[in-house]
Amino acid sequence: MSGAASSALSARLRADYASAAPALPASGAARRRAALEALAAAGLPSARDENWKYANLRPLERQRFAAVAPVAPAQLPAGLPAPLAGAARYVFLDGAPLAPRAAAPRGIEVTPLSEALGDAAPARPAVRPDERLALLNQAFGADGLAIRVPAEVDGPEAAPARLELLFVASAEAHSGASYPSVALRLEPGARLALIERHVSAHEAASFVSSAVTVELARGARLEHYRLQELNARSILFDTLAADLAGEASYRLHAFNTGAQAARSTLGVRLAGERAALSLAVLALGDRQQVQDAYAVVEHAAAAARTEQVFRGIAAGRARVAFNGKIVVAPGARGTDSRQSLRGLLAGAEAEIDLRPQLEIHTDEVKCSHGATAGKLDADMLFYLLSRGLDPEAAQRLLKWAFLEDVIARIALPELRRQIEARLVGQLRDEALQELL
Amino acid sequence: MSALLHIDNLHVSVEGRKILNGLTLEVRAGEVHAIMGPNGSGKSTLAYALAGRPGYEITAGTVRYAGDDLLALAPEERARAGLFLGFQYPVEIPGVNNVYLLKAALNALRRQRGLPEVDAFEFLTLVRAKMQLMHMEDSFLSRAVNEGFSGGEKKRNEILQMLVLEPRLAILDETDSGLDIDALKVVAAGVNSQRSPERACVLVTHYQRLLEYVVPDFVHVLVRGRIARSGDRTLALELERRGYDWVAGQAA
Repeated sequence: MSGAASSALSARLRADYASAAPALPASGAARRRAALEALAAAGLPSARDENWKYANLRPLERQRFAAVAPVAPAQLPAGLPAPLAGAARYVFLDGAPLAPRAAAPRGIEVTPLSEALGDAAPARPAVRPDERLALLNQAFGADGLAIRVPAEVDGPEAAPARLELLFVASAEAHSGASYPSVALRLEPGARLALIERHVSAHEAASFVSSAVTVELARGARLEHYRLQELNARSILFDTLAADLAGEASYRLHAFNTGAQAARSTLGVRLAGERAALSLAVLALGDRQQVQDAYAVVEHAAAAARTEQVFRGIAAGRARVAFNGKIVVAPGARGTDSRQSLRGLLAGAEAEIDLRPQLEIHTDEVKCSHGATAGKLDADMLFYLLSRGLDPEAAQRLLKWAFLEDVIARIALPELRRQIEARLVGQLRDEALQELL
Repeated sequence: MSALLHIDNLHVSVEGRKILNGLTLEVRAGEVHAIMGPNGSGKSTLAYALAGRPGYEITAGTVRYAGDDLLALAPEERARAGLFLGFQYPVEIPGVNNVYLLKAALNALRRQRGLPEVDAFEFLTLVRAKMQLMHMEDSFLSRAVNEGFSGGEKKRNEILQMLVLEPRLAILDETDSGLDIDALKVVAAGVNSQRSPERACVLVTHYQRLLEYVVPDFVHVLVRGRIARSGDRTLALELERRGYDWVAGQAA
C-alpha cells in the first residue's frame, strides 16, 4: 500500500475511532487501541494482494467503521429462521449479543467476550496478515461472546450439544458497521454441533464484519455449520481462525448463498498430531454477486489430515472464487491432505476462479489436489433430455447433483432440510421440491 | 397401414464428416428391425440422429415419425412423443437418483398426454415389478443414475427405463454389447415383453447373438452410411457365416 493511501486510511480509522470511542465500554480500551494501531500499520487489503484479488474490496473504501448504534432487542424482527430442535440459540443484532448471559445446556459457559479477555492490551494482537479484518472487530466492536464447552460428560454415544448463533443484520451501512465476535473453546474431549447463521432482518444494505475464533483442545470434536444468507444488498467480510490440538477433529461446512459481496477468510492451524479437518464450502452466485472464499490450512504437526471440498456455481454476472492453500510445515510428516475444487459456470458472463495451492516443506506426505471449472456436462444433459426432461429442469437437476458432494455431509437431518430448501429457492426451481 | 417411422434419403454429418449417405428405412408399428453393420458404418449415428443429439447435423433427407416431422422436434419432445433411445454407453450422473429420474421422465410423458402425475405408491409398485423382470436389486432405487454400475447393470437400467416409459418406438443402440449370456437373456426378455402391435423396435447391433433371443422381422445391413442389403432373420445368419466383407464387397 502506498504511503499516501496508508496515511489516508490511518487518518480515517483514527477519526472513526475517535467518534466511536465514547460510546464503547471503558474496559478493553487498551486492547481496542492496540488493534487499531495494528490495523493502521498493516493497512486494509487491496486487490493487489494475491489472496484478496477476487474479493470485492470497494465497500471498505467508503465504509464508516464506527459500529452501528445498538438497537433495542424489542425491535428484533419477525420472520427469522426457525430454531433447530434441541439447539440453544444466541441472537446477535447488528453485531451485539442480545442475551450474553443466557443459560446454556450441559455445562457450556457463555460470557461476554470482554470479560473473558480482560482489560489488558496484548503485546501484539495475534492476527495473521490475511486475518487482519478481525482487527476491525477488536477495535470497533462493543462486545461479543466467549463460549467454553467443557469435556463431554454424557459419554461418546450421546449426541453432542447444539448451539446456534444467529447473526441478524438490520442496520443500513451508512449508519455504521456490524461487528459480531465470538471466541469458542472446546476443552479436551469436548464435543459440539455449532450452527452459525448470518441473515438480514429486512431489505437494509448492511455492512458486516464478523470474527470468530475456534480453539479445539486435545481430542475435541466440533461440527460447525455456517449459513451465509444475508440479503442481496449486504456486504460481508468474515474471518475465522481455528487452532486444533492433537487428535482434535473439526468439520466445517459453509453454505455461502447470500449477500451482494461476501469474502470469507478461513485460517486453520493443525497444531497437534493427528488433528483432522474437513472443510466443505458451497457457494452460489447469481446476478452481480461476489462470493469469495480463501482458506489456508497449516499442517504444523505430524500425521494430521485435511480434506477440502469446494463446489461453486456462478450464474448471471456473478463471480465465485475459492482460493485454497495448504501449507505443510517442516516436521509435519505423514500429512494427508486432499483438495477437490469444482466450479460450474452457469452464465455466459459469470466467472469462476479456483486456486488450489500446496506448499510442502517436508518429505513423506500424501497431498492430492484437483480443480476443475466448466459448464454442465453435455452428455449428462442430453441423457436427461432423451428421457423427456425439459432443458431447464435438466440443468437445475444437474446443478443440484453438482452440489450433492457438500450437501451429503450435513449430519443433522433437520438442518439439511432447511439448507436444501434454501438451495432450491436459490436455484429457482419448485420441481426440485420433490427431491426433499 | 402407414409407417410409424419413415426415414427418407437421410444424410448426417458429425464434425464435418459425412457418416450417413442417403439412408432410407420404413418401420411399421408392431415390427422389430435389426440394423447390423461393421464398425464405423453409421449405426450409432443413425440412433443419435433420430434421438436428436446435438452435433449430429442433418444435411439432407427427411424423417417422419407418427406422421410428424421428427427432425423439427427437440430431443425432449421426441422422447415425450414416445421415442426412446437405449444408449450404447449409458451416462453416469452422480448425485441424481435413479428413482427421481424415472419418475421425472414418466411424469414428463404423462403431462404430454394430459394425464395427472403418477401416484407415488403406484409408481413404486410399477418400478418394482419391472425391476424384478430385469433381475435388479431393490438397492438400485436409491443409487445415483448409472454411477458405479457394471456394464451389464447399465444396460439393464436402460431396458428398465424403457419398460417404465413404454415407448412407441425404441431404438436400442448395441444394448447387447458387453453382456454375458445370462444378462443377454434378461435384456432380451425385457425387450420381448414390450413387443406389441402398437410398438416398434429398432435394434442396432454388431453381432447376431441378440437376434437369437429377440427375433427380428427385418434385418438391414448398413455399409458406409446407407443400407446395402435388407432381408429377414436369415440374413443375420448368413452375415454371421460370411462376414461383413461379403456385403461390403457387393455394395462397393
